[in-house]
Amino acid sequence: MDFEKILKELKESLIRLLNEKYKGFKNESKKDIEDFLESSKEKLEKWSKLLLNGDITPGEFEWLLKSQKDLLALKMLQKAGLSKISLGHMKNNIIELIVNVVKGFL
Amino acid sequence: MNFYLSVKKIKLTILAVFTLLVLFSCEALKTAPYDQYSYQKSIDIKIDSSRLMDEATTSYSSHSEEIDKLLIDMEKMVEYEKNKPNNEITYAMWKLISDENKNLLGGFFKRWEEKETLSQAFVIEAKSQVMEAMDMLIQYEGKKDKDAMSKLLQIINNQ
Repeated sequence: MDFEKILKELKESLIRLLNEKYKGFKNESKKDIEDFLESSKEKLEKWSKLLLNGDITPGEFEWLLKSQKDLLALKMLQKAGLSKISLGHMKNNIIELIVNVVKGFL
Repeated sequence: MNFYLSVKKIKLTILAVFTLLVLFSCEALKTAPYDQYSYQKSIDIKIDSSRLMDEATTSYSSHSEEIDKLLIDMEKMVEYEKNKPNNEITYAMWKLISDENKNLLGGFFKRWEEKETLSQAFVIEAKSQVMEAMDMLIQYEGKKDKDAMSKLLQIINNQ
């Protein structure tokens, strides 16, 4: 089994998925996918071995690969949410600072 | 003296305008606050799912009652998150995890039902994927808590 080919195909379908369904993340998506695939390599290799040994069926292998795609989408959502929280927090701090400065003038 | 008063007024006006601008731009960044119920319920669903997924090497029909209960709990959670203001991210995460046409918790139960029993190796791997997804959700809600805590501490310290 050509493991590099599997990774390449997975990467392409992930980019397609993100471009189709999560347009807001388009700019960062490519790098995120590469990072994610890098961190997923171990799992993908493990599943490939399980498939070759007959411990899981091709259908189960496909299910697991797709679950990896869903995990990526989830990770992107989490990341977007966390940056929203920290940006919101930063802006709250800016507001507090401005309010305090204005108070100093009164 | 008048000159200093005018400068002061200009500074105040600029700051007031800037404050309003920041306040308006914050509208787009609002997130629902930390919710103890969401946090606790997500943990409950994670634990129940973990326990039930371990049973997936045995027949679906012998666990159908417990599975139905869990699926209803999950459905209720999706509905709860859907109706919270500024909660699009958590709602989208829950939808993805519970969707039976995706490959996380909802998808796992659908596959189990279709196949009646699942192989040990598949259950171990699928469970690890689902638990990772649930952890992301729980950590995300927990992060809101940290933010809320730091704000609370700030308020307390300023008293």
